[in-house]
Amino acid sequence: MTNLTVTLLAQTVASGLMIGLIYALIAIGLTLIFGVMDIVNFAHGEFLMLGMYASFWGASLFLLDPLVTLPLTALMLFALGVLIYRLVIRRILAAPMLSQIFATFGMMILLRGVAQFLWKPDHRTVSHSLVEGKITVLGLQFGTPQLTASLGAVLVTGGIWWFLNRTRLGTALEATSIDREAATLMGINSQRMFALAWGLGAACAGVAGALLSTYFPIFPEVGADFILIAFVVVVLGGFGSVAGAFWAGIIVGEVEVLGGFFVGPAYKTALVLSLFLLVLLFRPRGLMGKA
Amino acid sequence: MDRLTMIKYVLGVVILLLTLGFPLIVTQPSLVNFAILVLMAAQLGVAWNILGGYAGQVSLGHAVFYGIGAYASSVLAAKFGLSPWLGMLAGGVIASLFSLVVGWPCFRLKGHYFAMATLAIAAIVEILVTNWDYVEGAIGISLPMNTSGWAAMVFTRSKTPYFYIALGLLLFSLAVSWIFKRSYIGYYFRAIKEDPDAARSLGVSLSHYKLIAIAASAFLTAMGGTLYAQKELFIDPGSVLVGSLSIKIALIAILGGVGTLFGPVMGAVVLITIEEFTRQMFGSTGMGTDMIIYGGIIVVIAVFSPGGIAALFAERERAWRARQRRVVFNPPGEGI
Amino acid sequence: MKRLFRRLCLGALGCTLLVGAARADDEIRIGAIYPLTGAAAGTGVELKAAAELAAAIVNKEIPLPGNLAAGAGLPNLKGAKIKLIFGDHQGNPQVGATEAERLITQEHVVALIGCYFSNVTATASQVAERYGVPFLNASSSSTPLTERGFKWFFRTSPHDDLFVANFYDFLKEVEQKKGIKLRKLALFNENTLWGGETTKIEVKLADEQGFSVAEKILYPAKSTQMTSEVQRLKAADPQVLMQSSYLGDAIMSMKSYKELGFAPPMILANDAGFSDSEYLKTLGKDGDYVLSREVWALDLADRNPLIKQVNDLMQARNKVNLNGNSARVFTGIAVLADAINRAGSTEPEAIRKALQETNIPADQIIMPWKGIKFDEKGQNALGTGIIVQVLNGQYRTVWPFNLATTDVVYPFPKWEGR
Repeated sequence: MTNLTVTLLAQTVASGLMIGLIYALIAIGLTLIFGVMDIVNFAHGEFLMLGMYASFWGASLFLLDPLVTLPLTALMLFALGVLIYRLVIRRILAAPMLSQIFATFGMMILLRGVAQFLWKPDHRTVSHSLVEGKITVLGLQFGTPQLTASLGAVLVTGGIWWFLNRTRLGTALEATSIDREAATLMGINSQRMFALAWGLGAACAGVAGALLSTYFPIFPEVGADFILIAFVVVVLGGFGSVAGAFWAGIIVGEVEVLGGFFVGPAYKTALVLSLFLLVLLFRPRGLMGKA
Repeated sequence: MDRLTMIKYVLGVVILLLTLGFPLIVTQPSLVNFAILVLMAAQLGVAWNILGGYAGQVSLGHAVFYGIGAYASSVLAAKFGLSPWLGMLAGGVIASLFSLVVGWPCFRLKGHYFAMATLAIAAIVEILVTNWDYVEGAIGISLPMNTSGWAAMVFTRSKTPYFYIALGLLLFSLAVSWIFKRSYIGYYFRAIKEDPDAARSLGVSLSHYKLIAIAASAFLTAMGGTLYAQKELFIDPGSVLVGSLSIKIALIAILGGVGTLFGPVMGAVVLITIEEFTRQMFGSTGMGTDMIIYGGIIVVIAVFSPGGIAALFAERERAWRARQRRVVFNPPGEGI
Repeated sequence: MKRLFRRLCLGALGCTLLVGAARADDEIRIGAIYPLTGAAAGTGVELKAAAELAAAIVNKEIPLPGNLAAGAGLPNLKGAKIKLIFGDHQGNPQVGATEAERLITQEHVVALIGCYFSNVTATASQVAERYGVPFLNASSSSTPLTERGFKWFFRTSPHDDLFVANFYDFLKEVEQKKGIKLRKLALFNENTLWGGETTKIEVKLADEQGFSVAEKILYPAKSTQMTSEVQRLKAADPQVLMQSSYLGDAIMSMKSYKELGFAPPMILANDAGFSDSEYLKTLGKDGDYVLSREVWALDLADRNPLIKQVNDLMQARNKVNLNGNSARVFTGIAVLADAINRAGSTEPEAIRKALQETNIPADQIIMPWKGIKFDEKGQNALGTGIIVQVLNGQYRTVWPFNLATTDVVYPFPKWEGR
């Protein structure tokens, strides 16, 4: 590593930040669902995949940019999340944790199969997006799609945070996640809250998918690449904590990129996972988790 | 002994005899191979169940023990010419030791956190082995198939010996599982699972017994890994250490019924049947239909029978016993 | 629920029995095992299409193009037809072995072809060896596959040793021709059997032939980003980047190079992902200027009219051009059909003998090889590699120079000026 310059390092840090923000957005959906109802959703990566396909079809059939169709993608995924809650999750709320894992795992395989059935296993990309090319600032290069995606992730995360803390509905959701029974006693319909959590969770993944679709290849198995990282971010931030997931996403992005750079790319995921284990063992609540 | 228990024993003996005679009756090699896959899966489910079922510690990283078993025997055979039978024991011992090192800190974690920790550990080990040149890293290890026979645990002619080894391993695992269920350790386990705090206040050392469970579970899982290596004669991190394998092992037990002796066996029969059936019927279309059916069936089972297949039987049995009781207590002559 | 299970189990049994029973006598069944679901399904489905095209030609369902090997059908078997039975290995070596066993024992295939992934080929061919059924491998390049002393294993494609040797020959010849130095290498390979083995050979030959390896990265194929990889490569500042990637990572790496402005003077890729039809469809102009070792290129049609004819048929049926992977599978089926015809029988031993005696001249195949003739290890001794460069969205042959249809564009242009 002879040419290690400041620019190279700064560039690496910047890239880590950009991917980290995407991780955060994906993980926020996961952590919402978990926080409200203690269910780990293995099919979360598939929501991301569906968000990507929605953007792809919008772009290739109607020539609409993924950024234009983004609200629609979010709505569709919201509806899907609610639907899956109604059809499947509602029936296993009282089931042991194991069968919940089992159900969402089955859904993961099912959704991948559906995607392959409907849209073939090919790799696809959105061509000619609004955001192409790159911006150079102080010798640092930012791919415009990546930059847009990370800014979008920040906005959506901020929006979710605002919703949870500043609106009636959001506060009700938060209340349900803190103490389900107390919230029910206060007149909050927990079934509705659960459905809302699934809708929002899926929508977050869908938005992340839409943002990613401007530069990431789209294929039925794409969710698999993100799901492990998303789990790590959720636990690191603290199960159920949106703010925690946000910071944890950035940390994971940086550890992955910088660790990969200094220690060796082969070990980048191992480094992230080791950090995750350390946090788990010494601070099981995560960075900002509820006790 | 009531009638139902008798029926159960008779049925058990019949199934055992049928299984023992299976390769003699069925000569179609791919059906024998299918049966071996079921037995191997069942053995893994039973092994997982000791930790995940009895001790209530859900592991999503059992592939790591499986991989240790496969790699230990293969490396020892390839580098030192050690018999895979000894390699199997060595793999078990190494996996047990590793499980103790891992289990000791991780048992402090509860529920999801423990599951996630095991998932992470398995993924880390997969990465390390992939980059470890001594064990051929990503390239994997090929075992020679020119020396066949019982000493080398390689059978090139017929797969029947693999069938009996897999069956032997399954029966051994079931015996271990049965001991766990029946012995005082089993009672402690149930106590831990039902009410950890109460158990602790009664002086049950939680981590002590959890460590015994994970060591036993790891040992048996590693034995299964060695059998895999000897059967397929090729291992690489992608086939014996991969995360989806960990989840499959857990699925087998969950599907069958966690915490029951024979649940994982039923789970294996059903899961492997679905898996092989959907792939054979639909996989060749390249349309993903097999995944839709496989995934769909898993969801349906999880939704409609969260306790697994064993729970379905248990329900029937309860209902039957209730009926019996009614019959017994009915005064004679009154109605039919 | 229980009833459902019972039905399923019975159904599975019933179907397998039925499938086993219902087949005509004049059908010659060949098993083909490819990744039809999972991450590599895109490639697998394309290979399936190529195999089906070859079978259709042998069966004379579509008119015979030119003097293609096996194009005359199977006259020695009274015009029997080939039927391909596909198996899906899902990228999993155990599943590959299971499928091989099923195809042999239940579907009674007389030969097998597969499996694209080297590690799956390793286990599936073992099963074929056990049962004594010929296994033809058309596209797995791992060298040790033909070093196992197998009796029933044949490989038409050249292997990694030859491909990597080609790289260095190519580099030296380009150095001479252009008067440049291309001695500082960076190796960037994916971390499964294929990438691991390629790295080993690349390092070994680099030492022997006086090249220096400035950076060697085995990257995990399932990645969400490649920043750290690309930054390491940038820091190493190589003259030549040698890369082995499957499709997904090939696409992602090119996108990362563009994003991070990494443009080494030469990117020398190792087929696979870079020659997949999806590669250019996905990347468009950003896929340009990459050099890739290949076994096939469409522009060779100028020298070999068969290539155009077969490619036109592929276009008509599947709306996709042939590529190095699918052309090899197509050729594999043709070789099998040729051998079965010469054997005049479906006895495995007869087919094996016929395969061993295979001697197909260069003008009867769509590959730029000197022909097909197996050595005692089952390796095609006449296979050769070529090197292509992507120029204006087309794969153009640039090496060996006597086959080249255009000159090598050097250096790889910076991303800004494109």
